Formats: sequence, C-alpha cells, structure tokens
Amino acid sequence: MTVIAVLLFAGATYAQKELLSFDENNKYIYYQVADVPALPKDTLLARASYFLKSDYPKIKLSHSAGANLLNGRGKFLVYGSGGLLKHEHGGISYTLSIECKDQKYRYWLTDFVFTPYERDRYDNFVPEPGKEIPLESILKKLDKKEAGSYLDETGTFCKQLGEKLKLQMARAFTPKKAEITKKIVTDKW
Amino acid sequence: MKKGLLLLTLSAAALFTFKAQAATLPADTGKAAATVPDPPLVFSGSVDTYYKYDFSGHPNIPTSFANENNSMSIGMIDLGLKKTVGKASFVGELSFGPRGQSQSIPNASPGVVYIDHINGNAATGTGTAYSSYHIQNLYVSYNVTDKFNLTAGYMSTFIGYEVISPAANFNYSTSYLFTNGPFQNAGFKATYTFSDKVSLMAGIFNDYWNVYQSANKVNTFGAQLMIAPVKGWTAYFNLITGPASGTEVDLTTTYQITDAFKLGLNAADFTVPSGVGLTGGFSGVALYPQLAVSKAVTLGLRGEYFMTKSGNYVTAGPPSGENVTAITFTANIKAGPLTFIPEVRFDNSSKSDIFVNNNAFTSNASQFVLAAVYAF
Repeated sequence: MTVIAVLLFAGATYAQKELLSFDENNKYIYYQVADVPALPKDTLLARASYFLKSDYPKIKLSHSAGANLLNGRGKFLVYGSGGLLKHEHGGISYTLSIECKDQKYRYWLTDFVFTPYERDRYDNFVPEPGKEIPLESILKKLDKKEAGSYLDETGTFCKQLGEKLKLQMARAFTPKKAEITKKIVTDKW
Repeated sequence: MKKGLLLLTLSAAALFTFKAQAATLPADTGKAAATVPDPPLVFSGSVDTYYKYDFSGHPNIPTSFANENNSMSIGMIDLGLKKTVGKASFVGELSFGPRGQSQSIPNASPGVVYIDHINGNAATGTGTAYSSYHIQNLYVSYNVTDKFNLTAGYMSTFIGYEVISPAANFNYSTSYLFTNGPFQNAGFKATYTFSDKVSLMAGIFNDYWNVYQSANKVNTFGAQLMIAPVKGWTAYFNLITGPASGTEVDLTTTYQITDAFKLGLNAADFTVPSGVGLTGGFSGVALYPQLAVSKAVTLGLRGEYFMTKSGNYVTAGPPSGENVTAITFTANIKAGPLTFIPEVRFDNSSKSDIFVNNNAFTSNASQFVLAAVYAF
C-alpha cells in the first residue's frame, strides 16, 4: 500500500514542463497527433471548431488559416509556487493550431509569451505594461523557482487542453434545435 | 510482486475505462457552452520594516512613512482579499501598524485616551486614540459588459503616481506630491474601456478626501482618461474637484522604453476650495527613471520639484511661495518575494531654512533608509 501511495504521489508531482519540447526554431511547443478511426476530415473540423467556441471562447481565431486548419491566439493565467496563498503572477499567451485530415488530427501550442503581473493601487493584479518575455527566456530573466513553476503550469494547461479536445473530438454533437413550447388553448374545447 | 501486479491492473483498468467512455459518450446537444470557472479567492498582502537615519540626527524630511529616525521600525502588515464570481467582484484590504494606522490617516474606530502626564508633568485630561487598523480598499465591482464597469466603496485614490502599499511603490520614502495629495476616496465610479488604448472613468465621491464617511455630502467629482498610445506607454489624466476638498489636476505616466529601462512622470496642481477662507495650494513635478541592471536588481532615481503656492494654505512642505527639490536614489534588490530597498535622499529648500541640523536651521536635509518588504 505504501509503495502504491509513493508511486501515485511521484506521478502527481512529475514536472509538467517535461511535456514541452523545442521545435526547429528552438521555441517551446506542445505537439500531439491523434487517430480517430472512421471520422472524415469535415466532421473533425466541425468538432474542433465547436470545441474552441464552447471551451475556449476567448481564443481569437485567425481568418487566414488554411481550409483544414484552425489557428488562434489565447491566454491563460499563472499563479506561481506560493502554496495556499496564490494570486496571479502573470499571463501566458499562446498560439493554438488544430489541423484535421481524414481519420486523424494534430494540434500544437507554441509562441508562448509571459507577461508579468503587478499589484495596482486597488489591490488587483494587472499586466505590467510593455513587459513581455518569450517563454524560452524566462529561466534567464526570472527567478529560477518561479520560472520553473510557470513552465510546469504551461505544461499542465497544454495537457488539459489536449484532454478536453480529445473528449470533444470523440463526441458527436447535433445542432441546437429550436424548442417549441406547447401551449394549451382554453377557448376551444 | 503482488503489489506490483495490483498497480498494473489498476492502471490498465483506468485506461480501458477511459477508452470505453470516449467511445460511448452521449451526443452533445449543443445546448450550452462550457462555463469558464471563476478565479479562486485571492489572498495577498505585504509586511514591511525599515531603519532610517537622518544625517542631522533629527527627523527632517516630511515623508508620509518611514518617519521614525534612528530606530528599527515597522511599517505595516497589509492583508487583501479578492473574489470574482461571474461579473461581480469585491476587494477588501486592511492594514495594521504605523504605516497602516495613523500614517494612512482615517481613524475608523477612535477610542478615548486618558492622560495622566504630559512631558513628565502630572496632568489630567482625555485625548483621541488611533484605531488599530485601517481600511485601504473596500469596494464592490460589477462588469455590466466587457467594456463597462461600475465600482462603489472606499478605494485608493486614482490621483498620483505613488500609493500607500510598500509593495506597489519603487521608492520607500514618499514624494511631497504624494503626501499632500489624496490617499483614498470613497465614492461611486463608472469606467468605460473603448479599447485597450483608451478608457474613461467618471465618478462622484465624498466631500473630503481620506474619510470613510462624508462630512455632509457626496459632491466631489472625479474623472480619469487613460491612453496607451504605444506598447509599454500608459498615461493617466486625472481630475478631482469639489467645493469642500478643492481641485487637483494630475498627470501620471510610465513608459517601459526598453526591457531594462522605464521612465515615469508625475505632475500635479492643487488649488484650495473657494469660499472657505483659504488661499493657495501646491504644484509639483517628479521624474522616475529606473534601470534593471540584473534580474534581481533595479536602480532608480526620483527627482522632484514641489512648490507651495502663495496663500494661507499650509502644506507638508515648504512655506507659502517657496519650493523644495528632492533627489532620491533607490535600489530594489529582490530575493523571491522579499525586496531590500536601500535609499539615500537629499532635500533642498529654495529660500527659508526649514530643516534642522546641529540645533540650527538649514536649507538642506539628507537621510538614509534601509527597508525590507515581503509581498505575498
């Protein structure tokens, strides 16, 4: 039982930044390819589009992407390694791309940029104007422990997005039908 | 062996269960978008302590905080809570300690002090005690739309460059403009964000600054225009005016020119209210260049010119019709959440000898401060 507990705990604390790789331009990337047997490209594209609208509505989709490609820019907040007392330490913007073929799709997140947050006079945490750090540089520019925690949070975010996308791609959806309200007519009986 | 087999079996069961679920998920009827979870309760704050030495041996410079000379002193413990649910949010921030009590002005719950001696001589009487806490911010906010926000309560003032919280200031001592301007305003304000480059705020506030309750009316008008002409440059044009508190116009701007170099500017002009027997006011300008020399160390300079206008209005500064210049060299040395702040400041008055050195009046004053601020 002790062995199981130790193994489970070790799994939970595995550094999520290991999920990130470097692409050919030495930029951080989270890249996955998935097979979805028996589903054509158009169905997969429709499901991917629905996924973005419903789960990540704030991602601004680019209209110049290709016919099989959905591409947009989004942002998530990071909270650092402060234990129980957490507040926003910064925001990380990213580019998400989803490309579909018959029976398979791939997606990747890249172009990560960290914007540090600062406390304002109203006790809110807001972006520091004019400060943007490519994620590839944060270990050099920030405290190592904090930078490491932001990389972990990035890995966790990418993994969670991928898991939600996987569920959505496996799930059929039907367009919302207009609901007809049944009314009782009482003057004719 | 048995335990290893059990772990493997559990893992395989989890994997097969997921695949089975994925294959048989019910169709999504497209009824509702997935809800975005609300941010968690945010708990933040700071603690600060300092040592200050005025080179004359006498506390000369009228800085709002860090006023105790040749003493290992404390600032405050500042505790803030924030929660957002949907479009509504609240912020509650209060502080304990000299910086958060009498030096932050409002006396929320004054008690009575019974006096039995004054300067070692027997005496009887009563006085007003300062309450043990101070509200820094206490307000509720509602996002009517993504662009339009309403906020009401007791808030840090929107006027000026410097603030009360040591975690939000670069310098530890404060400028004359900060000391003589408002600290907080209680009221109601509406903000419209036209774009990420322009927003406008307008509001009505209690008749006097720095009070939880109005003396008579809510009759002070405030407005703020924010523009961000280029990336990294933000400017705020501020106005606060009322028949009881007077009129202050203020410009606060910062420009992150390069990754390492930031330039800030604050300029303000205050005129006393008319019809209350006062004349005069103050005006001033302060420049804040800052250079990050490493990821842990930033060096900064504050150069300030402050003038008390001619009249009978008394400022925390030079006499009527005179001015003072103040040059402050500050470093921020960060070690995680802890920031060490060594600082040296030189003040020089234009005419009168308003400072004291060696039991004589002088026009110059200088001090050294070493502060530590832990922000969480």
